[in-house]
Amino acid sequence: MSNGRAQGWPLWLVLPLLLLLHFYVRPRFYSGRGAPDFLLLALLIVALETRPGPAAVAGFAVGLVTDVLAPVRVGAGALAHTVVAYLAAWGRSVFFPDNVLVNMVVFGACTWLRNLILLFASDPGLGALVGSLAPWGLLQVATTAVAGGVVTLALRHRVDVRLEE
Amino acid sequence: MPHAAGRSSSRRDTVLFAGCVALSLLALLLPAGWGQTLATGIRETALLPAIWLQGRAEEGRTSRARLQTVLAQRDSAAMAAQAALGLVAENERLRGLLGLRRRDPAAFLAAEVLHQPIPTDGRTLLLGVGTREGVRPFLPVVAAEGLVGVVLRTGLTSSIAATWAHPEFRASAVTEDSGVLGIVAPAASDDPSLAVLEFRGVAYRDTIPEGTLVVTSGLGGVYPRGIPIGRVSGVRREELGWERVYRLTPLVNPGSVGHVVLLQPVLPADSALIRESVP
Repeated sequence: MSNGRAQGWPLWLVLPLLLLLHFYVRPRFYSGRGAPDFLLLALLIVALETRPGPAAVAGFAVGLVTDVLAPVRVGAGALAHTVVAYLAAWGRSVFFPDNVLVNMVVFGACTWLRNLILLFASDPGLGALVGSLAPWGLLQVATTAVAGGVVTLALRHRVDVRLEE
Repeated sequence: MPHAAGRSSSRRDTVLFAGCVALSLLALLLPAGWGQTLATGIRETALLPAIWLQGRAEEGRTSRARLQTVLAQRDSAAMAAQAALGLVAENERLRGLLGLRRRDPAAFLAAEVLHQPIPTDGRTLLLGVGTREGVRPFLPVVAAEGLVGVVLRTGLTSSIAATWAHPEFRASAVTEDSGVLGIVAPAASDDPSLAVLEFRGVAYRDTIPEGTLVVTSGLGGVYPRGIPIGRVSGVRREELGWERVYRLTPLVNPGSVGHVVLLQPVLPADSALIRESVP
């Protein structure tokens, strides 16, 4: 147990690293809409480590940040991130097994769901569903899932410890 | 006991979730102005370091490409300026003969676009300049290709621009030859990734050929005349035989634009004097 914790990257290091990736490294190299969303990834990692209630609060805070940075309809991002974080935490506590591939699927699915809710809350209609399935949206789902897989590998031993406990 | 504790904790989770959803819905139902004011407040305080960091990153990414573009444009401008000297002198002479005042020089402000990786990025854009640099609401935002949108909200160090893809965007426009006047608005589409514009309010008797350039008309006092918006790409619909709505292919993609210019109106000297004299 202690070996695993010693080998894995600590969460307090990974989360600031993800924020740095989001606000500096991503815009430094590619800031298109297909870029991985490191802020959402940080939220999902926190959600998978906590209970659904605190995860929802964290989701609300992160959603508020996205609303502030790209405000089409203030509240849409908060709603989308709250729902996604709560579902991720609840799903983890109920049935997600600990596996890198499963985690990648969870990250991808959560990104897609976030995009769908965000688009629907901003502009209700069929366009939200079509928009979430647009090529750049699916590209972001894929890139976020891959980035999430890498982060999960970095945190893997820590997650193992949590399951053993 | 553990069972009861688990149930209580689960209830607390549900209450927290319901509370966050309720707050989100409340924010959605708030008048748009209140929400934007709240967003500006947070942007100018808690998120200031993050925006500053992203601004430096965007500058670093685009600086090399921008330098090459600027050098190429400078060379082109230098060549054009050589030929323009005679024209300028001729223009001055003619203006003098007709008694016209001098043209006012255009003022502008350059800004980096700080894109966000969310699907609604492109309807609004976060700009890395604010009131400290002289930005104020309703300044037109343009790129090298044409009109991007208009400044919606300003903070001290950043501002939000609504692009032509924003549902509330409207601009008075005219065809390049000034023959047909209308209103440009975003077209409702099932696929937000294929956003196009509509050229509305065109009289049924007027026909616009495909490929015609549509520019701002200067009416309304927000956009100066002559900023390219898009090209006509067909008739979108006809309204009861009295109006045609044309489909317009925009010249600028707000989702990929990295550097924009904010046009600042320059008041002529005499009108400044008039303004000062008015109590």
